Amino acid sequence: MSILPQLLLNALITGGIYALVTSGLSLTFALTRVLNLAHGHLMMAGAYSFYYAYVQRGWGLFPATLFCMGSSVVLGLVTLKTFVAPFARYSVVLALVSTLAFATIIESTVSLIFDVNVKSLMVGAYPESFEWCGVFITSLQLLIIGLAIVILGILAFIVHGTGFGRFIRAFSESSVTTESLGISKSKVMGIVFIVSAMLSSLAGVLVGFETSLQPTMGNAYTLKCCAIIILGGLGNLWGTLVGAFLLGLMENLLVGLEFGSFSIPTGYKDAVAFVLILFVLLVRPEGLFRKRGRAAC
Amino acid sequence: MLAFFTSDYVIHLLILIGIYFIVAQSFNLSFGFARIFNLSHIASYAVGAYTTSLLATELNFGILPALGIGVLLSALFSLIVGGIAVRLEAEYFAMGTIAFSAMVTALLINWKSITRGVLGVPGIPRPVIFETALESNTQFLIFVGVVAALVQLIFGVLYYGSFGRSLRAQGEYENGAKSLGHDTGAARMVSFILASMVGGLGGGLYATYVSYIDPSVSSFAEMVFVLTIVIVGRPGSYWGILVGSAAMILLPEIFRFVTMPSEYLGPLRQLLYGIVLFLLVYVRRANLFPVERKL
Repeated sequence: MSILPQLLLNALITGGIYALVTSGLSLTFALTRVLNLAHGHLMMAGAYSFYYAYVQRGWGLFPATLFCMGSSVVLGLVTLKTFVAPFARYSVVLALVSTLAFATIIESTVSLIFDVNVKSLMVGAYPESFEWCGVFITSLQLLIIGLAIVILGILAFIVHGTGFGRFIRAFSESSVTTESLGISKSKVMGIVFIVSAMLSSLAGVLVGFETSLQPTMGNAYTLKCCAIIILGGLGNLWGTLVGAFLLGLMENLLVGLEFGSFSIPTGYKDAVAFVLILFVLLVRPEGLFRKRGRAAC
Repeated sequence: MLAFFTSDYVIHLLILIGIYFIVAQSFNLSFGFARIFNLSHIASYAVGAYTTSLLATELNFGILPALGIGVLLSALFSLIVGGIAVRLEAEYFAMGTIAFSAMVTALLINWKSITRGVLGVPGIPRPVIFETALESNTQFLIFVGVVAALVQLIFGVLYYGSFGRSLRAQGEYENGAKSLGHDTGAARMVSFILASMVGGLGGGLYATYVSYIDPSVSSFAEMVFVLTIVIVGRPGSYWGILVGSAAMILLPEIFRFVTMPSEYLGPLRQLLYGIVLFLLVYVRRANLFPVERKL
């Protein structure tokens, strides 16, 4: 039996998680032009807040979710008000430095509170697994794929089909013009940063259930988000979706399959994203699916 | 009092200050002067460290030739990075250089047949100069001090010469520098390669000092540490970097006088670096990276 169908399914699961994390970064990046280098750390911190409520405190699934959402709101607002907004008006590089400092602060704080060891959110019985034509899938993995599709569908509809989404797109095209039309930038930014933090926390929680959590996981996810954004084009949610599933596919196929007698060791799974970033920057610095150049600020 | 200043502990700290000063001053050349935010600087440092130690332990090179080859390989590495990244805009440049840095870490961990993976490289010898091995830390301190002084001298010539002015000009207003006939691309690339070479030298010195390295030399935390030194010393400053490295090496030593479980030490240092970095950029945000002068 070929392992290809199973690999394709795994690609769908990882792709779903990547799509959830990246859509948040893609939105904030497009809106503020500031690449939040702490985005993967926000995901990690959100997931740890869920871990605190669900595993350490033993609260049920619903209160833990509420707690996690609450802390995501706080994290999103802190990111915006303290680490992005004061710097964005001076220089992009300054905001990169400040978000880098934020990433360090989050990572060390989480390692101090919960230790540096690997944690799993899965307590008690493992979810039942179904077999269909030699492909195994658990109910949790079905949930991940379903959640990713539904939530990103809603998000894409909001961004590309509603009035509020038009504000977001307008700000990402020309923030001065949009503000002159009387639309509050701080309000739109606040909402987008909260949504972004919530989406990444959700992805973090799903990762925690599916595999495990570690304080050092943030950086790899930030880089994967960057790879996906570069692939899909900035601020383009459909491109982000395609890029996320493409990265999931590449990671699983390149590392899982054997090419003749040669196969890539599993340790290089994360490196797929890094090579991808460099490759795209080398051949097509404007992104694979971008139609026109960057709008003037 | 004199006993304190010649104690092993103080000499150890002074050596670390010297090494990190070399690394930070080279990062200052690209970050402070050329205004390129090169997050793969620590990867150059790791390339230098690993080349030096592998040549010295596996192939029985002397430390000084090994250091030289390490510097050359760092230059080669920066040629590859620069070739891809130097034309990109700030955010994409940061992305690309982080990707490079992460790739170097991935290679150091996974290319076990050469780098020994997470086990690291042990038993790196000290340099031999005039047929005396620098076994004692006092001798090594003098060696590091001489190298650091040379680096400072060379960088002084660069900073205050026409190359430094050209670099500063393109960092402040690229089109203006271009219109005055400065080859901004070339200036940036040269500063990038020089920074990487001296960073590699710092890595090699570190490896021969502590005699053991593992893939954590190219970690993100190290990059943040070097960045913090430069921000403390003020980017683009000549002597400030020395103050910055002294401050940032000495500051975490306060934790040594507090009793606590040892597993808290690493994260606490990280937290300290993160907070210092954030507070300094926050306080100085209006004049650290001045907006382009509007004409």
